[in-house]
Amino acid sequence: MSEHKTPGVDGPLFKRALLGSLSWLSSNHEEVNRLNVFPVPDGDTGTNMLLTLQSAVEDIKESNAAEVSKIAKLASHGSLMGARGNSGVILSQIFRGFARAVEGKSSLTPAELATAFEEAANAAYRAVNKPTEGTILTVAREAGRAAAAAAASPDATVPRVIAAAASGARDAVLKTPSQLQILRDAGVVDAGGFGLQIILEGMLKTIEESESSLAALAPARPAALPAPSQVSVELPEGGWGYCTEFLIEGSNLDLERIKTQIEALGNSVLVVGEPELVKVHVHTDDPTRIITLAGGYGKLLKLNVGDMSTQHRRILEGAGQAAGAPRSNGVGVVAVVAGRGLVDIFRGLGVDAIVEGGQTMNPSTQDMLTAIESVPYDEVILLPNNKNVILAAKQVLGLTKKNVHVIETHSVPQGVAAVVAFRGDRSGAENLAAMKSEAERVQTIEVTHAVRDTRSNGLKVKKGDVIGLINDKLEFAGTDYGEVVNKALGKLGADSYELVTVYRGEGATDDELQKLESDIRSTHPGLEVEVQQGGQQHYPFILSIE
Amino acid sequence: MKRSFAVVTDSTADLPDAWRERYDIDVVPLKVLFGEETFRDGVDMNNEEFFARLAASSKLPTTSAPSPGEFAELYARLAKDHDGCISIHLGRSLSATVEAARVGAQSVEGFRVDVIDSETVTMPMAFLCQVAAECATLVEASAAVKERIPKCRVLALLDTMRYIEMGGRVSRASAMIGTLLDVKPLLLVAEGEIKPVDRVRTRSRAIPRMVEFFDQDVPVEHVAVVHAQAPEEAERIAADIRSRHPDLEVPVGQIGCVLGTHTGPKALGVVYIKK
Repeated sequence: MSEHKTPGVDGPLFKRALLGSLSWLSSNHEEVNRLNVFPVPDGDTGTNMLLTLQSAVEDIKESNAAEVSKIAKLASHGSLMGARGNSGVILSQIFRGFARAVEGKSSLTPAELATAFEEAANAAYRAVNKPTEGTILTVAREAGRAAAAAAASPDATVPRVIAAAASGARDAVLKTPSQLQILRDAGVVDAGGFGLQIILEGMLKTIEESESSLAALAPARPAALPAPSQVSVELPEGGWGYCTEFLIEGSNLDLERIKTQIEALGNSVLVVGEPELVKVHVHTDDPTRIITLAGGYGKLLKLNVGDMSTQHRRILEGAGQAAGAPRSNGVGVVAVVAGRGLVDIFRGLGVDAIVEGGQTMNPSTQDMLTAIESVPYDEVILLPNNKNVILAAKQVLGLTKKNVHVIETHSVPQGVAAVVAFRGDRSGAENLAAMKSEAERVQTIEVTHAVRDTRSNGLKVKKGDVIGLINDKLEFAGTDYGEVVNKALGKLGADSYELVTVYRGEGATDDELQKLESDIRSTHPGLEVEVQQGGQQHYPFILSIE
Repeated sequence: MKRSFAVVTDSTADLPDAWRERYDIDVVPLKVLFGEETFRDGVDMNNEEFFARLAASSKLPTTSAPSPGEFAELYARLAKDHDGCISIHLGRSLSATVEAARVGAQSVEGFRVDVIDSETVTMPMAFLCQVAAECATLVEASAAVKERIPKCRVLALLDTMRYIEMGGRVSRASAMIGTLLDVKPLLLVAEGEIKPVDRVRTRSRAIPRMVEFFDQDVPVEHVAVVHAQAPEEAERIAADIRSRHPDLEVPVGQIGCVLGTHTGPKALGVVYIKK
């Protein structure tokens, strides 16, 4: 280990350092982008910081200034002009603070460099209205502190101060998830902070080129950086699920056992506490099951179930991450549906529980009762979505303490129309009125094959014929889906409607679907046609006209 | 008498050109990025060009706020012949613009800039500029504008969730929109928050809902109808509102490039300031 005094930070050195930062950030900014908490291709922190830094060094590239102050001033001005996104704006303030601290200086000693890092962080804090810890601000401050500590050592050199700043930044980045709930939940470190760490590392790499003996001090790439698989926060089907938190008060509570059971039902599980009081945190699609399970152990306190989609939006709006109440009107919705695609559609529209069943497999009253009891609301709207289910649905009314309403939806399109009209901020009575009226407004065409020869409604039908029903009534028979559907659309006066939704059943082939679609479009060019995978059995096509 | 303070807003106010001249308002453009190409909203690209390009582009554009430096330059220029400035911007929860303006204002010493987070978007911001411009002093203007911020409403019908979802401002779940079915959300922007107020499957059902919702919020001080490439529908809504409320002027405005990136084409809005 040779001890030798390194020169101070002058203009050319600082210029090289910044160019090094730019090249290092440019190779690593995608890694920063991946740390975004939100699953949207917007506000990419890495890109924003890179573009800001590019703008910061733009004029520097042309400058031969000998004084560090001049280079710092160019960086400050350039970054201010090019700042993008919140991280970019803060980065520009870091440069501004640095430039102020080195004003009038031609070269910096290690101690002066450390002071400039600290001043840079201070300036960033001042620029932000409500500084939040666990962000780039914290990382800037910790980098400054580490630099100051290194500068205080008798054998301080410029590379050592920068190495200390970079490693202070890295340590602070790794701690950010413990400071910010959203990072913890997403399983990532703070992106802006990580970007700053990369900028400092880039400086260090450049300085090191002439100081290879100091390589040992170089911070490793963050070992604990979450793997991309953990980082990419894909939107799961049906949203983010529910963040469920509560305390269990009891005696001799077995933490390990509770933890194992909860882990089977969700993720991001946290079970901590004493045998008398246990705190549980879990992300789950099915909070009811968790609550029921936990209720078996003892008394539940401070129960909080938050829809994480709402939380994400709130976080986006900077309004904090307090978990919202489940649904303000206290009304749940249960629907009877069959077919994988249709189940997903109803779930996507916010139905709380699905009873599998429909045309030929009518669900029992007990099936519906169980679903209603599973919903965490005392008032429940039940949608049978099939005329053969309505009666069984009505039996539920006498079997539960819950206040259940059956809306007599005869078909899938009526059920969809009713659910679309449901609003979580409106009372049960208001919802009922709106949902009924929307269900009545929509027209249903169901297309299937005759299962036997028959005469019905003045029609002679042979087994295997394509038959079309309008609102449950057999109206047309033929040999071709398109022909039958177009006749039915004609009878309904489809041109006075706007939208046809085609729910494709299990039995329909791609060719049949395409032909039907083009038949409808050519006969009714004014109608919008939307195709959904319904996956229902027996009915190759169900159409909703509204 | 010439006003002694300047009025500044940004391009998301969708300020009609005539008002800009009449009230002498400076507009700082946000930016739209199509891939590597950056356009200043309303400067390098007008609404027609934007929506034509949007329709032709396979990848959706993104948007970005003005930089603090751009604000600093404008404020420095205004400082020469004004004794202060009110700078009214797109809600903080929707964009970094306010923050950029605030940072930009810090760098112009000795010039008072009241940076206002309007907590809203599109023409309520234009109305706030109008209110400010009609005040005699900067102090009065700031007070008059701040008093109205909680009363600003933007009721928006999007033709599709695609654009707003890609922009990350609203998720399908938070808009009560199923992930599969094409449902049109009716959204309300109030006090910086975007809330779903209804969802419908067809435009013809949605438009009367918007007007009904608006009727419940009457009396209002100002109202406008804004649209993205849907002028006939916007005119019809405006005429409907005028016929029910003959005392109200109902200007029709166009949604600009940056806001259009998030709403997509065929968006409609009834926007107003409650009394």
